[in-house]
Amino acid sequence: MTIQPAWQIPRSGLLWLLIAFVGVVIPHVGHLPPWITAGAIVAIGWRIQVYRGCWGFPGIWIKVALLALCIGGLLLSYGLLVGLEPMVALLVSGYSLKLLEMHRPRDALVLVYLGYFVAITLCLFDQSIAVTSYILVGLLLVTAGLAGLHQTAETTKHSAFVELGSLKTAAAILLQAIPLMLVLFLVMPRFAPLWSVPSQRDSATTGVSDSMSPGDFTRLGRSAATAFRVTFAGPMPPKRQLYWRGLVLSDFDGRAWRQAVPWGYAGNLVQWYGQPDGSWRGDIPRSAASLDYSVILEPTQNQWLYALTPSQPLTEGVGLARDHSLVNRVPVTGKREYRARFMPDSPRDLDALPSIRHFVETRLPPEFNPETRRLAAEWRAEEPDNEALMRRLMALFRREFTYTLEPPALGRHSVDEFLWQSKRGFCEHFASSFVFFMRAAGIPARVVVGYQGGEYNPEQDYLTVRQYDAHAWAEVWLEGQGWVEFDPTAAVAPERIEFGMAETLAGEEEFLADNPFSLHRFRDIPWLNRLRLQLDYLDYLWTRWVLRYDGVQEGLLSRMLGAVDPVRIGLFILIAGFLALLPVLLLLWWRRAGNPRSPLEQLYLEFCRKLEKAGLGRNTGEGPRDFAARASARFPADREQIENFSRFFERVRYAGSVDNLEEDRLRQQRRRLKRFRPGAVRLLTSKSA
Amino acid sequence: MNAPVANRQKLVDAVVETVAGLLMGKEQEIRLAMACLLARGHLLIEDLPGMGKTTLAQALARALGLSYSRIQFTSDLLPADIIGISVYEQASGAFVFHPGPIFSQLVLADEINRTTPKTQSALLEAMAEGQVTVESETRPLPKPFFVIATQNPATSTGTFPLPESQLDRFTMRISIGYPDPASERRMLMGADPRLQLARLRPCVQGEQLDLLQRAASKVQASEAVVDYLQRLVQYTRSEHQFELGLSPRGALAVLDCARAWAMMHARHYVIPEDIQAVFPAVAGHRLQGASDVVQRSGALVEQVLHAVDIL
Repeated sequence: MTIQPAWQIPRSGLLWLLIAFVGVVIPHVGHLPPWITAGAIVAIGWRIQVYRGCWGFPGIWIKVALLALCIGGLLLSYGLLVGLEPMVALLVSGYSLKLLEMHRPRDALVLVYLGYFVAITLCLFDQSIAVTSYILVGLLLVTAGLAGLHQTAETTKHSAFVELGSLKTAAAILLQAIPLMLVLFLVMPRFAPLWSVPSQRDSATTGVSDSMSPGDFTRLGRSAATAFRVTFAGPMPPKRQLYWRGLVLSDFDGRAWRQAVPWGYAGNLVQWYGQPDGSWRGDIPRSAASLDYSVILEPTQNQWLYALTPSQPLTEGVGLARDHSLVNRVPVTGKREYRARFMPDSPRDLDALPSIRHFVETRLPPEFNPETRRLAAEWRAEEPDNEALMRRLMALFRREFTYTLEPPALGRHSVDEFLWQSKRGFCEHFASSFVFFMRAAGIPARVVVGYQGGEYNPEQDYLTVRQYDAHAWAEVWLEGQGWVEFDPTAAVAPERIEFGMAETLAGEEEFLADNPFSLHRFRDIPWLNRLRLQLDYLDYLWTRWVLRYDGVQEGLLSRMLGAVDPVRIGLFILIAGFLALLPVLLLLWWRRAGNPRSPLEQLYLEFCRKLEKAGLGRNTGEGPRDFAARASARFPADREQIENFSRFFERVRYAGSVDNLEEDRLRQQRRRLKRFRPGAVRLLTSKSA
Repeated sequence: MNAPVANRQKLVDAVVETVAGLLMGKEQEIRLAMACLLARGHLLIEDLPGMGKTTLAQALARALGLSYSRIQFTSDLLPADIIGISVYEQASGAFVFHPGPIFSQLVLADEINRTTPKTQSALLEAMAEGQVTVESETRPLPKPFFVIATQNPATSTGTFPLPESQLDRFTMRISIGYPDPASERRMLMGADPRLQLARLRPCVQGEQLDLLQRAASKVQASEAVVDYLQRLVQYTRSEHQFELGLSPRGALAVLDCARAWAMMHARHYVIPEDIQAVFPAVAGHRLQGASDVVQRSGALVEQVLHAVDIL
């Protein structure tokens, strides 16, 4: 009886698996409950203690208890396990538990696969260059763990604490995979996900939300995150035209503005791209001036898109809503690229508003802001002309109001207090009070939220709009002109519109309060500013060519293949894959070519190959005599042939000189070797037997 | 197969058989010792006491018809005790050299690591040069000259272990090891080995040993076999698990012993199996694992043989 020794994980393998564990889990720490992180640390410590021989592996009851703890904790933290974060949390806790259960090589392999999986889930949260590069590092570490599992003490040097041999092996493996990765990236069709990734819990922290209440925009002013990027097919319109309409808010409850129920519209509410034009679109004439542009929107988890007004969608799945904003068919969970046509001169809703719409666009909650209502009525009496009334209000703004990101807090009658007391505020205050005033004077008006301006990258010709460019402005309906956009903020702080938020507020404390070391704070230093623009461009390229590659792919493929069908794609993958791997093959071939085999050696190798096929391979370092003895014992029927051949080989190679080996002797042996079938069933002998 | 080749093999086989009659079940070790002797090398036996080191040396000396002396190395042994000393003789009124025990054809240097480095190096010098110099007079040692040194690995207190440079002078290091039960039983049931030893008759006469040694050195080593040897040597020098690679002297020793081994097996050319047969004994004590590789050198040598292919 032999005692089976317990499997001992190679030290190098264990070390790399632990390093990979840490490397892969760390980026998840931010969106995991703290107890999972703590558990992971305990698991690592425990595993190290097991390795040092101080502690034992957990017994069955401890494992059951740990499992119950994890399940309970997950249920407590997330409730039902639906959504991305609970799933990742589940994965990471399983990853930690498996660490304590590594008894066999198979368990270690499971750990390796889990490591790959956890690494790739990072993509679900962020797909930027930095994170993608980090994922590559994670893959490298996990692969090093995999390599370390197969590197025994004899093949690794123990002098260093961390054996770099495994890492080198892993790097070599991954480097070889790169050509294939590129081919698959180019050709592999992008399938729409079979299920949509459940949105993240905290995803709504940035971006414009579907209501506007005091303070919303201050929050946006703190963030320099990219909202979207735009490239224009022609020259960029002037900055004062760059109003990126997101949502139209018509419903005011005294504090917040919301989208109103789309009452009173005839026909469909959204005109999707590709549908025949609805009746209500007839009022947008095809104006002469038009400008196509393309937007890459960062994920917002919302359906609305941002576009200049008025614009017409040019991308499948994008529609034009009745309030002239663009909407996406599904919430934007990944980066979304869409194209649209800006037609600056076309009026909107020229015909008189239906009475229900008129009611909705002028409705105000009666119990708020009595002072403003009273004054609006007073002014209305003095100024019967709508435009004159607006001019008068704007003049008031210009004369007495200050633009600041740190306005005093407002009470119950926010518009009254802003207009007649504090007189300090920013876009949302101006837009809100302007619209309120107009409605109180009986003019249909509504709030529009979105972004204004953006930063133009002159070298690369695209525009980056950031969260701090978020803006709110107004829209009024005038007889004979339809809806007209109107920005009261422009009256108070024209530089906000002309130069953008960053220029205007660079000194204010609230601006970018969340990231005090943001490069955006140092735009006065030219080289830093240039660096920032370059980084931004890199990110743009990444988004354009890697993340949104599927848009490019179809055209590229059809140009390369003629037509896109599965057979052609398959063939292309085969051929391109072969071509991509060709350098590796050539390298291997070249290495072998450096040590050419003599005809005799080739013959002997052929002999060994035949025996190996029959089930008996020659070991490395096994001499011809030893091998012949082993082969004869294994295939007694072929004994004579085996011994003859190896005697011939031995004589020529070791007793004579290879140079004066006669060609025909070699040829003769080659012929004999061809007929050599070790281990073959001989019908004749079996019959006679 | 030509006659002289077969005769040589018979001769060697006869010696091996004779010695194996005393040292039962240790034919492989006896053959290695023979190969070492035929390659004009010196042998280091590392083993526990009572394993038959002395028996091997004495039996070899007898079977080969060599003069034999034994030096028990102790910590107070002086070089002169080995080499000899000049004594003033009143009768002739001159100093007369009294040769020490080293002036024998087969010298058994027992427990060589018990003596001081000074005495050790006197022996090793004699081994290397085949002559000794006493009082500015060079005296050749008898031919053939063969040293079998033993050391006891178990007790290391109060010993002076041989440094690598001096280990390198021994062509081979072997250990005899316990006999298998059957051989041990035969030994226990048989006659007293000491009596047997006294009855032993030489199998080799006069010049024959020298002829054998010469024949061994003429065994052909083809390019292919030298290639293989060089790859083995290169492996020990380039792989990091070795602290020290195989020296050129070591490589030469491997080839010489492989030649002798081939001759002992009635071949006039060396094949890889010959190299593999002698390699552990010849290279084992010269290779040293890197300090942090805790391994027996035997395992290291096996590793080399398994890692380097013969082609």
